[in-house]
Amino acid sequence: MTDPILPAPFVDLAPLAAHWARPSENERSEIRWSASAADFRALYEAMMPRLDAILRLLSEHPASGMPEDVHNLFLLACAFAEASPHHELYGGSSAVPFSFDARRFVRMDGDAAL
Amino acid sequence: MTTTCTAEDLRHINRSVDDIREELGVDPVSVRAISDPAIYELEREKIFSKTWLKVATIWELPHAGDYKVKELPVADASVLIVRGKDGRIRAFHNVCTHRGNKVVPSSGFETFGRSRANVVTCRFHGWVFSTDGPLRSVPMKEKFGKLDTACLGLREIHCDSWEGFVFIHFDPEPAQTLTDYLGDFGRLFGGYPYAESTTAFRYSTVLNCNWKVAHYAFSEGYHVPTIHAGSLPGFKGVEHGDFKLMGPHASSTIYGAGMDTAPSTLAFASMLSTTERHRPRPDQLPPAINPERRADFQFELPNLFPNFIIHLASGCGYPGMSFFTHQFWPLDHGRTLWEGINYFRPAQNAAEQVAQQHVNALHRNAWLEDTATMEDTFAGIMSGSIDAMQLMDQEFLIRHAARTLDTYLAA
Repeated sequence: MTDPILPAPFVDLAPLAAHWARPSENERSEIRWSASAADFRALYEAMMPRLDAILRLLSEHPASGMPEDVHNLFLLACAFAEASPHHELYGGSSAVPFSFDARRFVRMDGDAAL
Repeated sequence: MTTTCTAEDLRHINRSVDDIREELGVDPVSVRAISDPAIYELEREKIFSKTWLKVATIWELPHAGDYKVKELPVADASVLIVRGKDGRIRAFHNVCTHRGNKVVPSSGFETFGRSRANVVTCRFHGWVFSTDGPLRSVPMKEKFGKLDTACLGLREIHCDSWEGFVFIHFDPEPAQTLTDYLGDFGRLFGGYPYAESTTAFRYSTVLNCNWKVAHYAFSEGYHVPTIHAGSLPGFKGVEHGDFKLMGPHASSTIYGAGMDTAPSTLAFASMLSTTERHRPRPDQLPPAINPERRADFQFELPNLFPNFIIHLASGCGYPGMSFFTHQFWPLDHGRTLWEGINYFRPAQNAAEQVAQQHVNALHRNAWLEDTATMEDTFAGIMSGSIDAMQLMDQEFLIRHAARTLDTYLAA
């Protein structure tokens, strides 16, 4: 699989996008549930220092109808938005500690693709 | 209909802790209403058939012909909620008047769709009904020896809306209108622009517990520092106060100085909290909620009897979150469908949308912590080893709901 295209300042994030960026919450959750503490750390260390720059770029685009490279960055940012608490708060665990089985939560709206 | 009251108008609903102790008592509350399957059968008859139940929002069904099918095992009903050509939202039994087949096929507990021609057609024999109810056509109609089509429209269920929330009532002759049933609750929560918050993140799960175990777990702030130590670390100064009683309904306020915010949350939150659309809006709260407009307001925590909670935050609690709701639908005595929905105003750009994903994920994860206790709690109660719940002041919503339940069951 070729790495997804990304806007010029972020092309080095392409391997991370290939692994993490998916259009639906369920798909992103599957990836997150199988991630290790090292996976969360690698994503965090690559994304966190550039988060402000990424959000600045995304803020120039509407919530739907982005060009393909921006949309790929957007999906990577969505994956990071959902993954960052696992590094910051849950000690690298792929499950929320002391929690209900996340697989039993159902997205009621059919989990539309972003 | 919007009826906004001032804090002074609603002064009679306010209760101090002493008032609550005096009015609702301080004794342990029996768990029998949770453990006894016979009580559940009574609840179906005396509560879920006798109260107004929220089943939809008007913004879920924005266009004529938009419909939602809601499966409600507690009433043995499949309910079709549909916006007619005239713009009105009605509710019907999703049952063909020919021989009883389901008119609109559904999967799971909720199914959305749109009828472009403003009719729904039974897939069994092709009977066609208008979205406002009447039977419009019957294939081979002349082959029926007798068929009074004028009386064979979809069977209507009483339906009304308040502030964009759509309620139904299964009783053919409800004892109260929705406005009267909501009473002071409608006046306390009325006036907030709920319908602006059309971006919804909706979750459900089936829990192996009685519906009241799930409901009660979301009805107090006492659990926050313990159960949410993971997802709400260092939550400081939780103050659960401003107790209010309103007939079968009740409410209270969670104030708090917030939590230790992680770096990513800080970055995402700033995308929302710096915009006019998503920033904390204590000024938009109805006047009797957080009447002093305290800056540490997090959200209002009510119970709309029997099974609905609107946590009104107005952007003050979780960043950018307008409000969130919980609903608890019994499937049988020991099984419950929980529905949790986070509502935001629509994102104006892709960065705001990512930020909402983050806030939603944090809150979804907190719900995973909440739901973790429910099946264990029910199993514990069903073991017979405890007879009663010990309830502290901040658990007064539970005490009040249990008392209201008893009142309905005794009626």
